[in-house]
Amino acid sequence: MDGGLYAAPRTIMNNYTFPIWTNFIKYGVGVVLAVVPLYAVALLYYTGSPRTTDVGYGPQQPIPYSHALHAGELGIDCRYCHNTVEKSAKAAIPPAQTCMNCHSMIRTESPKLIALRESFNTGMPIEWVRVHDLPDYVYFDHSAHVNRGVGCVSCHQRVDQMDLVFQAEPLSMGWCLDCHRNPEANLRPLDKITAMDWVPEEDPIELGKRLRIEYNINPPTDCSTCHR
Amino acid sequence: MSPVKRMAGLKKNPTNDKTYWRSLNELAETPGFREFVKNEFPNNAFAMLQGPSRRKFLQLMGASFAFAGLSGCRWPKETIVPYSKRPEHRTPGVPQQYTTVLDQGGVANGLLITSYDGRPIKVEGNPDHPMGTGAADAYTQAAILELYDPDRLKTPLLLEQATEKPVAEKSPVHLEKTWDDFAATLQEIKTLLSEAQGEGFYLLSELASSPSVEALRTQLATSSPKAKWLTYEPLNCDAERQATIAAFGAPHRIQYNLKNASVVVSLDCDFFATHPQSLQLTRDFMDGRSMPEQGMNRLYVAESRYSITGSMADHRLALRSQEIEQLVLHLAAAIAGKAGAALPESYVVVRNALQPFEKPDRHAEWIEALAQDLVDHIGKGAVLAGPGQSVRVHALVLWINEILGNLAQTVNYIPIPPDSLAAQPSVQSIRTLVQDAKEKKIKTLLILGGDPLYTAPADLDLATALAGVSIIHLTPYKNHTSLRSQWVLPRSHFLEAWGDGVAYDGTVSIAQPLIAPLYESRSALELLSMLLDETPRTGYAIVRRDATEADWKKWLYQGFIEAAPVKPVLPPVKPGVIATLVRERENSPIPFSKDRLEVTFQPDAKLYDGRYGNNAWLQELPDPQTKITWDNAALISPQTAAELKIQTGDLIEIRDAQGKALEIVAYVQPGQADYSIALTLGYGQVLPHLSVGNQVGFNTYRLRTSSESSIRTNLTIQPLGKTYPLACTQDHHAIDEVGLAAQRQRLGQIVQEKTLDEYLHPHDDHHGHPPVTLWKEHEYNGHKWGMAIDLNRCNGCNACVVACQAENNIPVVGKQDVMNGREMHWIRIDRYYKGEPEDPTIVHQPMNCSHCENAPCEQVCPVAATVHSSEGLNTMVYNRCVGTRYCSNNCPFKVRRFNFFNYHKNLSETEKMLHNPEVTVRSRGVMEKCTYCVQRIETAKIQAKNEGRSIQDGEVVPACAQTCPTKAITFGDLNDPNSQVAKAHQNHRAYFLLNELNLKARTAYMARIRNLNPRLEKHESGQHA
Repeated sequence: MDGGLYAAPRTIMNNYTFPIWTNFIKYGVGVVLAVVPLYAVALLYYTGSPRTTDVGYGPQQPIPYSHALHAGELGIDCRYCHNTVEKSAKAAIPPAQTCMNCHSMIRTESPKLIALRESFNTGMPIEWVRVHDLPDYVYFDHSAHVNRGVGCVSCHQRVDQMDLVFQAEPLSMGWCLDCHRNPEANLRPLDKITAMDWVPEEDPIELGKRLRIEYNINPPTDCSTCHR
Repeated sequence: MSPVKRMAGLKKNPTNDKTYWRSLNELAETPGFREFVKNEFPNNAFAMLQGPSRRKFLQLMGASFAFAGLSGCRWPKETIVPYSKRPEHRTPGVPQQYTTVLDQGGVANGLLITSYDGRPIKVEGNPDHPMGTGAADAYTQAAILELYDPDRLKTPLLLEQATEKPVAEKSPVHLEKTWDDFAATLQEIKTLLSEAQGEGFYLLSELASSPSVEALRTQLATSSPKAKWLTYEPLNCDAERQATIAAFGAPHRIQYNLKNASVVVSLDCDFFATHPQSLQLTRDFMDGRSMPEQGMNRLYVAESRYSITGSMADHRLALRSQEIEQLVLHLAAAIAGKAGAALPESYVVVRNALQPFEKPDRHAEWIEALAQDLVDHIGKGAVLAGPGQSVRVHALVLWINEILGNLAQTVNYIPIPPDSLAAQPSVQSIRTLVQDAKEKKIKTLLILGGDPLYTAPADLDLATALAGVSIIHLTPYKNHTSLRSQWVLPRSHFLEAWGDGVAYDGTVSIAQPLIAPLYESRSALELLSMLLDETPRTGYAIVRRDATEADWKKWLYQGFIEAAPVKPVLPPVKPGVIATLVRERENSPIPFSKDRLEVTFQPDAKLYDGRYGNNAWLQELPDPQTKITWDNAALISPQTAAELKIQTGDLIEIRDAQGKALEIVAYVQPGQADYSIALTLGYGQVLPHLSVGNQVGFNTYRLRTSSESSIRTNLTIQPLGKTYPLACTQDHHAIDEVGLAAQRQRLGQIVQEKTLDEYLHPHDDHHGHPPVTLWKEHEYNGHKWGMAIDLNRCNGCNACVVACQAENNIPVVGKQDVMNGREMHWIRIDRYYKGEPEDPTIVHQPMNCSHCENAPCEQVCPVAATVHSSEGLNTMVYNRCVGTRYCSNNCPFKVRRFNFFNYHKNLSETEKMLHNPEVTVRSRGVMEKCTYCVQRIETAKIQAKNEGRSIQDGEVVPACAQTCPTKAITFGDLNDPNSQVAKAHQNHRAYFLLNELNLKARTAYMARIRNLNPRLEKHESGQHA
């Protein structure tokens, strides 16, 4: 009998049997079974890779400002410049005026600081390139962390050793939640918040457990904690 | 069967006494209503996208995919731009609040503006202001949208010189100029002012309470005595003012104190909505009914159109506005008779003027009961007359309040300087202007704000009179007046300029700018100074004058200037005034019929007099009563509509005796007085350059005349045989899709209402018990957020809806999408009618997400995009949502909103500045809903923890609760037994919606209590027993 796939006359009985083309589904299922795991692996690899989370991202800035020099060698406290960190969600980039507190006397002729002096004189801002960039639907609050024993170094790593600041941690949601679920490892006394090279004298976990009780720390893991 | 019932095919449900309904369609169960309720998302998204719009949608989709491909791998590079020199006390990321005032119609309300990193983003009431309640009405809240409106005038415009044709005939063209170009014209006026003593210089302003404007006016009057300064407000209190002049010999404003009032009577006065003192009146009145156990005030309303004041009434009488005068005469006679007033002459005259009513029994009984109630509460009553009523009515009300001993108790009079702007009658100004223009006296006319060519009484024909006059118009938008103006000058927004204003109680406040002018605009003060001063002063210098630094800082900080309160005076009504006024009354009763109709002109609940025409938030706001968005309609009673064979949506023509006609859409409004048509002002502006306010609705100013500016009589209606689509939200998001019988039963639970008597002497326990659960309930050990909404306080004013829109970056969708049921408001106000369509009662029920503990929406989300937080918030995670809309399908309250399009996509750069940075801006394909203002909760939590303390009750206030003029909404932690909200949840009136489904809603509603007068109870009995 000639007539291809649909040659069988459509009788009432045929309605209760699968049409012949369904025979091909099994090949399709085979293809799907082969492709899906590959896809899943590729997806996980891609989304988890440092390239995606931007670890190591350290763009050139308009002024070759070195944290290694200022925070490391000179030992200026983080909060001298990022002075809103304890009051605001944002650890604001300092205004040109803050830089000029010193640079009106030091290296007043340095060609590297032309942009700074221009900003100070004209009132136009310096356009710094953002390094630690969370998605717009994430509402991270610096003050909530630094007032509760999470030091700068926990998220930003050794900025005091970076000539050019780069993103050292993935800043992914999983990474945030790791700490929100087990904060002990990252807790420190409040007077050591900005100390980059501080290491606890005792077991950090033991100290963390003690501080957690002392500071009454119950990090929420609700969606609405960070997403509004 | 009455014609109404035949028309609408109404079915009565004799078995159930709680006959609540939302619209006449629902009552009649029309197929359209059933269809709308059946489809969760009516008019399926794709079905609507036929033809060009479907192509556009596909293009958008394609474009988005392309972008996804480009931007998916790499995050966009962002820059941070810090201050060069950071201002003192400015912390980036921490919002700051500044006080200011907004003057509307000559009354300045104290405000508190939130500024985020230098951008004003939110308007609230100033709770410290002596008049302040911390509340702001819908108009004021939405006024901030205008600041960022891209349609605003950006530069001065000069009319292109018409070569041959006169300006009036050709559509005028304006050229963009600069303020420097205006200098020559300015010099000409200055010369006119100095050399000719200002003869021929006319100035027409809106009513402004500003002392600085008053000072400049004095300066003008001194330097150029022949210059004329007129003032015009299309909606004004002139009748009241004239009445006080007649009664006391000098103009006064009436200040009510409803705190002490037990019996409040409104005669066509929507004092919750459009009274200049409305915020304070609302708060004081509602405070008198929040604890029914401890006594409750009683509100009587007689009105033609169902106002929101009427919806709060314990007894409401639907009466044509024209007949209110008759009612007042009866009331005055009854009260004077009972109270033994010492004014025999007036009494006799009033008695003689009485005429019988149309429904003598009902009216006589009503008046008798009301008069007795007032007399029983001497010194504790208050009678208010609406601004649309005649001088005679207002004078009679003054007299009634005097007889009742209400003076100094609930009613005070504050004198107005007779030569001030506020004392000028508005219509007279236009008459003067027309007269003087015809006599060619006007050389230059400077118009400060407003749109008189659109709002002036139609019979005076201001446009023709001013055809040859050189007009300079200072205005925020190019409007009808601007089109005819020689120069159109951009006016600064109130958040951009220094100014001042006087509140209704006489408190002076400074208006401080929060942002430098976005465009080349000037304030009225600055322009006047350019005209009058040798060297123009800045707004700051004009307002500050010689205030000391300490005073100045204090005034700005607290938002008002402390002064001894203006001493109210209590003059008696001059003898003989009432008698004279009543004798002047034409004594022929006007028989109303379907061929002799009454038309009333009312301020619009959204556009006021039209000044907010380009405000998309207000345009899309559902009217509190009709729930119409993006339109106005002629409101007709069901009876009259049946007689005229008109249905909602029919186009009709209203024609006056002179043959002037208005084409408008009809809307059948239950409770509207028969043979009375209510029209609202402000629509039908033809301004093609505006993106929002062009040709929305129907221009009702066309029928408004100088002699009958509020009530017109003797009009006819002709159906035009055409229909017009109305975007009306009243049947949207109906809570139930079960049959009407079951629905009515359930609605009785959704809206709970009792009379005071029933409440105090309960026969049965209506509360019901929540079902018993078989498993262990989730525990909330930390905070447990909850809300309570008091239906006994809510008057449906819409302030919360706009507050929510501003706070939560809620988009505007436009008329077409509202018709598709896609409005995005997170809080809606359901309006339920009860009783017969001719005379129903109303309950308003604000409806936002109830944050059910056993939330049905969470159970059906396939991607866990809506989940519960540890504090009991039903959170919505936008970045997980894939847009299945199952949650919305399963939500019994229908409070979830879906972004069918990326409504934020086409916003201008300035409009984006208005966004609240604390709230995610949602994109297409995402579900959203009320979050209990989670951003405010988190901010308060972080702040409290940073300060090492726990959150105090009242520290977390959602935007809706913060702005509510009635204080109907309470929010807080249910785990704190002393919190306001926990107490409200324990209140005997509290109930939970659909409790039998074991939803465990976190929002409790508190039942509405009606305080019926026992003498009138049997009339109301038809409605609830």
